[in-house]
Amino acid sequence: MIKLLAVIKKEALILHRDRVGLSVLFLMPMILIFVMTLIQDSAFKSLNERGIPIVFVDNDKDSLGISIAQGLLNSGMCSLNYTIDGKIATAEVLERAVSDGKFLVGVVVPKGATEAIRNNVKLLVKQTLGESDSIQTQSESVEISIFIDPITKKSFLTSVTSTLREFISEIKTKIMFQTFSEELSELIPDKENLPKNAFAQSQIIKYKEVYASKQIGEIVPNAVQHNVPAWAIFAMFFIVLPLAGSMVKEKNEGTVLRLQTIPASFLVLINGKIIVYIFVCLIQFALMLSVGLFILPIFGLPTLNFGNSISGIILLSVATAFAATGYGVMMGTIASTEQQGAIMGSLSVLLLSAIGGVWVPTYVMPELMRNISYFSPLNWSLNGFYELFLRGGDIADVLLASLKLFVFFLLTMAVSMVVNKIKRKI
Amino acid sequence: MTNDPIIKINSLSKTFAGSSEPAVRGISLDIEKEEIFGLLGPNGAGKTTMISILCGLYPPSHGKVTIDGMSLNGNLDKIKQIIGVVPQDIALYQMLSARENLSFYGHMYGLSGKSLKDKIELWLNNFGLTDAGNNRLSTYSGGMKRRVNLIAGILHEPKILFLDEPTVGVDVQSRNVIIDHLKELNRAGTTVVYTSHHMDEAESFCSRVAIIDNGKIIVEGSPQQLIAKNEGCTNLEAVFLHLTKRKLRD
Repeated sequence: MIKLLAVIKKEALILHRDRVGLSVLFLMPMILIFVMTLIQDSAFKSLNERGIPIVFVDNDKDSLGISIAQGLLNSGMCSLNYTIDGKIATAEVLERAVSDGKFLVGVVVPKGATEAIRNNVKLLVKQTLGESDSIQTQSESVEISIFIDPITKKSFLTSVTSTLREFISEIKTKIMFQTFSEELSELIPDKENLPKNAFAQSQIIKYKEVYASKQIGEIVPNAVQHNVPAWAIFAMFFIVLPLAGSMVKEKNEGTVLRLQTIPASFLVLINGKIIVYIFVCLIQFALMLSVGLFILPIFGLPTLNFGNSISGIILLSVATAFAATGYGVMMGTIASTEQQGAIMGSLSVLLLSAIGGVWVPTYVMPELMRNISYFSPLNWSLNGFYELFLRGGDIADVLLASLKLFVFFLLTMAVSMVVNKIKRKI
Repeated sequence: MTNDPIIKINSLSKTFAGSSEPAVRGISLDIEKEEIFGLLGPNGAGKTTMISILCGLYPPSHGKVTIDGMSLNGNLDKIKQIIGVVPQDIALYQMLSARENLSFYGHMYGLSGKSLKDKIELWLNNFGLTDAGNNRLSTYSGGMKRRVNLIAGILHEPKILFLDEPTVGVDVQSRNVIIDHLKELNRAGTTVVYTSHHMDEAESFCSRVAIIDNGKIIVEGSPQQLIAKNEGCTNLEAVFLHLTKRKLRD
C-alpha cells in the first residue's frame, strides 16, 4: 500500500508540474466543446430560426404560387427573397444568381401553374362523373423549377423538395374539392344544403413531432446535448497522449530500468499511474459537463440537461475513464519512442472517435462503417450518454455499455502485460 | 573480510534477440562478501550486460547466478530487496526535486516515515545537496544529478551495490566525494560491484578487478597482482591497454 501511495504521489506531482500537458488535458477539450457546440448551434439556427435565403419567382400569381410561398415561410427553414440586387427576380436572373453563389436555392413557379392544376382536376372530375372521354383528352403538366447551388447539402435540398411536394399536393386537393363542389352544385338542385368546401379547408391528418424519451418531461435534442458528451469522451480518450508520453519518457530516461530493479511489481507501478489518470479523466469529464451547464448558456446556448440518472452518469463516466486509461497504458507499453506514442495515440483516438460517431453520427454512416463503429469504445460510451442525456434513460440502460468499457480496460491491461513481458525477454 | 562468495556466476552467457553474437560468453566468476569488485573493459565488452543480468533486468541465455545463496532464477523478488542499483543513465524524474525522487525510491524499498526522512537528509548532507534538495532535478548540474542517482541506489543500505559507471561525466570534486562515500559504505559491510572506464579510479578503489573483452573475462585479480603479472606495465591502464589492445571499439 505504501508503494502504491508513493507511485500515486509521484505521478500526481509530475502531472501537476507539466503545465503544457495539463493544458492539453483540460483547457483544449473545454475550448473544443465550446467552439464545436457554438458552430453546430449556429448551423442549427441557420436552418431553424433565421432560415436559409431562397430566391422565389412567382410567375403563377395564383393559389399554387401563393400557397408555396406561404408554406415555405411557415416552415421556418428558409427566408424568401423576391428580388435580386434590388430588382424583381426573373427565372433567368435567378438561375444566374444561384450559379454565382448568391443564393443556395431558387424556386420558379411557372405562369398558369394553378390554372393547369384546375384544368387537370376538372378533367379528372368530368372523367369520374362520366362527362368526358378519357381517350380523347390530354392532361397538362406543371413544372416547378428548382435551381440549386452545387454546394447545397443534400439533406437541406431534400427538405425543400419535400415541402414543395407537400404544398403542391395540398393545393391540388383543395382545387379538386373546389371543382368537385362546383360540378356537384350543377347536378344537385338544392344548392343550400351543399357543403361549403369545408373538407378542403380542414386538415384531417395532422402530425406532431414527439422525441421518444423515457423521461417525464421531454429532453429537447440540441447542439449542447449532442456535443458535450461526445467531446467529453473524446477528451477523456485523449489522455492517451500524456499517459503514453509519460510511460515512454520513463523508458527513455532510464527510470523504467531502475524501477525493474526495485522490489515492486509491474502491477503496483502501473496501478499508481492508472489511479491518477482515472482521477484526471473524471475531473476532465466534470469540467466538460460544467461547460455545458454554466459556460455555454452565457453565450446564448441551451443549458445541458443531465437527464434523470446521476448514478448512471457516474457509472458510465467511471467506466469510460477506465477504458481511456487502459488504452493509454497499452499505447505507452507498445510505443518505444515519444514520437511513436504521440502519433499512434492521437491518430488511433481520432480514428476511434470518427468511427465511434463523435465527429459524424453513426446513423448517417454506410452500413459497413456502422458495423465497424460497434467496435469503438467511444461509440459504447457515446451511446450510453445519449441514452442518459437524450432518451432520459437510467442506470439500467447503461449497464451493458459500462460493462463493455470495463472489459475493454481489462483487455488493454492484459495486452500491456503481455507486451511488457515480451519486451523484457530480450 | 570473509571468503564466502556473495555472488557466484557459473558459465553465464547472454545472446540478445536478433543478434547472432553473444554479449556475454560463458563467464564464471565469484565475488566475495564485502569486496569492491571492478568490471573493466572497453566499450561493448559486456560489462553493462553482466551488471544487468545480475540485477535481474535481463534473463541469462545460459548459466547460473547465485546471489547471497539464492538462485537468480525464481528468487528475483527476494534478491531485489538486498541489492541496490545505480544505473549508468540518470534514472530519476527530472520534474521532481531530489527529496521527492529519493522519497519515492525509498518508499519503493519499503522505507517510510521518519527513518526515511532522516536517511534522505543524511545522504543529501553527505553529498552537499541539502540546500538544493527541494529544487527540481532538471535544474541540477550533471555532477549533482549523478550524486542523487547514487543516493537513490544506496538509501535502503543494500547488501550488494551494483554501480554502472557511477562517475562518468562528473568533475574531480564530485568523483572524489562519490568514491569516498562508496568506500565508507563498503567499510560498513556493503559488497560493491562496479564498472568504469577510469582505470586510475579502479586501481585505487577496487580490491579486485576483472577485465572483460568480447564478452569474456581475460584476466582477474587485485590491481596490484595484475600490474605485477604484466611485464612493463606500471599501472592498471597500461595492463588494460596491453590486454585489450589499442583497436577502437564500437
